[in-house]
Amino acid sequence: MRFMRFLWHSARLATRGGAAYRAWVLFLLALVAWGAVAYVDQLRDGLIRTSMRDEVSWGFYVGNFTFLVGVAAAAVMLVIPAYVYNWKPIKEVAILGELLAISAVTMCLLFVLVDMGRPDRFWHVVPFLGLLNFPRSLLAWDCLVLNGYLALNVVVVGHLLYCSFYRVHYRAAIVVPLVLFSIPLAISIHTVTAFLYNGLPARPFWNASILAPRFLCSAFCSGPAILIIVFQILQRTAGLRIQNEAIWKVAELMAYAMFLNLFLLGAEVFKEYYSATHHVVYLQYLFSGVRGHTSLVLYAWASVACSAVAFILFLIPATRRHFVTLNLGCLLIYAGVYIEKGMGLVIPGFTPSTLGEIYEYVPTLTEVRVGAAVFSVGFLVFTVLCKVAVPILMGEFTAETLVRPDGGGSSLAPEENLQRS
Amino acid sequence: MATPQDTPFPPSPPAESRREFLAGRAATAVAGALAVASLGGCGPASPPAQEGSAARRWGMVIDLRRCVACKACVASCKSENKTPPGVAYNVFIEEEQGTFPYVRRVAFTRPCMQCAKSSCAQVCPTGATYHRADGIVAVDYEKCIGCRYCIAACPYGARSFDYGHDYIEKAGNPYNEIPSSEYGASYGLRHKGGSPEGNVRKCTFCLHLQDEKGEYREPPACVRTCMGKAIHFGDLKDPEGVCVAHGEKMQALLAHRGNYRLKEELGNEPAVYYLPV
Repeated sequence: MRFMRFLWHSARLATRGGAAYRAWVLFLLALVAWGAVAYVDQLRDGLIRTSMRDEVSWGFYVGNFTFLVGVAAAAVMLVIPAYVYNWKPIKEVAILGELLAISAVTMCLLFVLVDMGRPDRFWHVVPFLGLLNFPRSLLAWDCLVLNGYLALNVVVVGHLLYCSFYRVHYRAAIVVPLVLFSIPLAISIHTVTAFLYNGLPARPFWNASILAPRFLCSAFCSGPAILIIVFQILQRTAGLRIQNEAIWKVAELMAYAMFLNLFLLGAEVFKEYYSATHHVVYLQYLFSGVRGHTSLVLYAWASVACSAVAFILFLIPATRRHFVTLNLGCLLIYAGVYIEKGMGLVIPGFTPSTLGEIYEYVPTLTEVRVGAAVFSVGFLVFTVLCKVAVPILMGEFTAETLVRPDGGGSSLAPEENLQRS
Repeated sequence: MATPQDTPFPPSPPAESRREFLAGRAATAVAGALAVASLGGCGPASPPAQEGSAARRWGMVIDLRRCVACKACVASCKSENKTPPGVAYNVFIEEEQGTFPYVRRVAFTRPCMQCAKSSCAQVCPTGATYHRADGIVAVDYEKCIGCRYCIAACPYGARSFDYGHDYIEKAGNPYNEIPSSEYGASYGLRHKGGSPEGNVRKCTFCLHLQDEKGEYREPPACVRTCMGKAIHFGDLKDPEGVCVAHGEKMQALLAHRGNYRLKEELGNEPAVYYLPV
């Protein structure tokens, strides 16, 4: 079967590579193993291995989950200019956004799994297999849209690569509607995740109408920040043709998104501090500490500083187009949003607790190790997908090159270094 | 602190139920859950029958003027439900207000509010948390995946996750040999890898003390043990309903002094009323 042959050759390609590629994959596998051992401990002893308690019942895992949903949603930052505006420089690399989405959603689902108290019952929340409390529970909605988004991207990417491999034109009648549908679906995965927090009147920190817009704005910064760096690595190592215009355009869009993100943060800060109801205590815990408990303060201000500096770097055309400041901005945005949409969102929602107690949450080594393993799985998925996709896109790895004696291994050498992201 | 009252050991035998049958089957192996899936077609075990009598709406009236802050309610709850460390169905909240010499102490007990419009059942992704016909909000441990969304949603902090902690880690001590009486002791001994470990747990108004008709054979542990007779427990639906422990008319208690419910503005409609000091 043709598709099996495509899969077989792709798998063979993914398992072969130069020293750098092998070292990178081995490094990731080692991290996965290190974290898997910690997860086995957690399975045996229960979530007592983590720092989570009833006062702060979600922590590192759910924070990372929330951040990564944003990364996954950010693929639309490439899909919209590429398919809606038909802007060619981005259309050529839009598939990388979809690959990132696949890896990010994989990590999201794994973070949900490791956070479960009874992972043996994960199938209860698998759409169509389990009995979801749909439509009442937002978590049930999240399971549907995340799995749907993953399936859609796998189908689109699989079809595109398969067609490029056999050098036939993809079926536009299938791909274009699916890609266009992925835009509202990407927005919906992040909106539903925001609503998951937003819909809880018990937690005033999250119970703000601008939470979903804030989620989207920060997602439109963090995902592209990763992509810009990946673009450059692929440009240098694999010779992937990406025009600088594409990178600059994405950076410009990120500047707008970051402006909106900071603006909405300011709107939230104003509303809380000016009205100064009891509910301001959560924001105080984040930014200035409450009753001497200040473990998040430095962390929160670091996020604001990173985001603000990155915004300025991306706003000024000269620094946006200079690759040193561009990359610095990307790292700052990544750090800023990671804090803001990760534990900076989850922890203050729980602190003080509904009974007014303050429990200062700091993740345990078990949580960090398991988290590292999940990230490594995601990086591994992305590495392997790029390893296969980039040569296919560049026409170096197709059914034809495989039959030619000079095809295969030799032409694949350059992109073996490409995943040092 | 009062000593925990004697509770009936072993707990009164529950009626044979589908729940017990399911629990027994799933406890045999980790694969139990999958076995249920394969045997039951495409979904998880169907929810247990809506137990309890629809004619009743069990609720509490807590008279803070009678409360002496002895916390016996907390101790008896621990003793009745044998909750592990970190899991408390009933907690006691105390706060000192004002500055010396004009100080007062605010203190009250907080069971689960058994909300008519509960946030926990609304957000539960699998429907493991459900409303019984008599208004009690219960958890089906067989369906709970331990995502703790309900803990985030509950405005009263009335839910606890079983993180897997024991008072005495050593096997073979008496604490580890007595099953919790909750849900008619149908989940058996608490053990590693089996429910309720890894599940979210909560106060059920000691519904295992109900008889087959859904009436209470004896009052819930906190009500029974309250030495100031501050906690009144009875049917809020019946205009003539009386406290099953102390005999006062529930509606009369509510009418005399004015009453309030916690966080009324959230619209959860709790079944627990407080009478002011």
